[in-house]
Amino acid sequence: MNEGVSGIALGVVIVGLALSTFVTRTSFLLAGARFRLGSRVEVALRYAPVCTLAAIIVPDILLHPPAATIDLSVLNPRLIGALAAGLWLCWSRNLIGCLGSGMAAYTLARLCL
Amino acid sequence: MTATDAARKETFRQGQRAILPSLPGAFAWGMISGVAMVKGGLTVPWAIMMSLMVYAGSAQLAALPLIVAGAPLWVIVTTGLITNLRFVIYSAALRPYFADEPWRKRAALGFFMTDFTFTRFMRSAQDGSLPERNRDAWFAGVCANNWVTWQFSAMTGIIGASYVPTDWGLEFTGTLALVALVGPSLNARPAVVGAIVAAVVALLAFPLPFKLGLFCGALAGIAAATLADSWQQREPPRTPEGA
Repeated sequence: MNEGVSGIALGVVIVGLALSTFVTRTSFLLAGARFRLGSRVEVALRYAPVCTLAAIIVPDILLHPPAATIDLSVLNPRLIGALAAGLWLCWSRNLIGCLGSGMAAYTLARLCL
Repeated sequence: MTATDAARKETFRQGQRAILPSLPGAFAWGMISGVAMVKGGLTVPWAIMMSLMVYAGSAQLAALPLIVAGAPLWVIVTTGLITNLRFVIYSAALRPYFADEPWRKRAALGFFMTDFTFTRFMRSAQDGSLPERNRDAWFAGVCANNWVTWQFSAMTGIIGASYVPTDWGLEFTGTLALVALVGPSLNARPAVVGAIVAAVVALLAFPLPFKLGLFCGALAGIAAATLADSWQQREPPRTPEGA
């Protein structure tokens, strides 16, 4: 993709995303003291990011390039890369190591398989 | 300069020093966000704009594949919003400490609050090392260093990445960064249940238009995690073995 995504539509998307950051970060700091988080709501909010990210990551890894079939084969370079990164995370929380091992495995799999 | 101003400045600097240990982490995250923006297909000026205005790595990384796929505006923004929902909890936790500040200051501190700066603030709040006075200046110092570091590294990533050939597959670092973000959150059973349900539903619902499969997955996952959480609460506490 040499052209790159751009244009007015992208500007609107960026403003929308900026608002989503601003609104969530300032929500309770700006709201009056009469607003409180119910415990149920807080539980749902706590798990929302993990679930959303899982719903983004897993199809991105297994359905790439966007196809109708699920590629669970050991020959899927993205799956191999993600597994390597995940294994690294079990061992250490180091972000650079996680990305390095994931990219190394992904690149090797892409070039060799 | 009055004595009060000098004291505020000193407290600001204390905040700047307090965040130093986590700056390498902020640098790495900013860099990855920058690289992924450009390798995902944004042009350099738009990537810079995104970084400056959104200033939320996870929301940017989550929104990126949707932007590239040409998903509708509301889908992209809602995805960013859900990814950012954890900040609502942070915001509620911070409020008692800044309740007496004018709203403009609360809005500013909120905008610059991130995972790193929030975590740093709460650690000091819990171990009692938060300054008695001028907490806002202290937190502003924490946020200032974090912001400068993150933006500097994001710009480095954005400009650097535009010189790297696309066939190196660097855009995959965005997905891997999200893996690194999710990994540590999977330490509780409800989170694991929610993530698995979300992933399976998102896979099955993938053919739906407008990337709606993503929402089906996220909503199903949140419902499952909430249920699992309430079951866990109801379970009688287990006696540890050997006790």
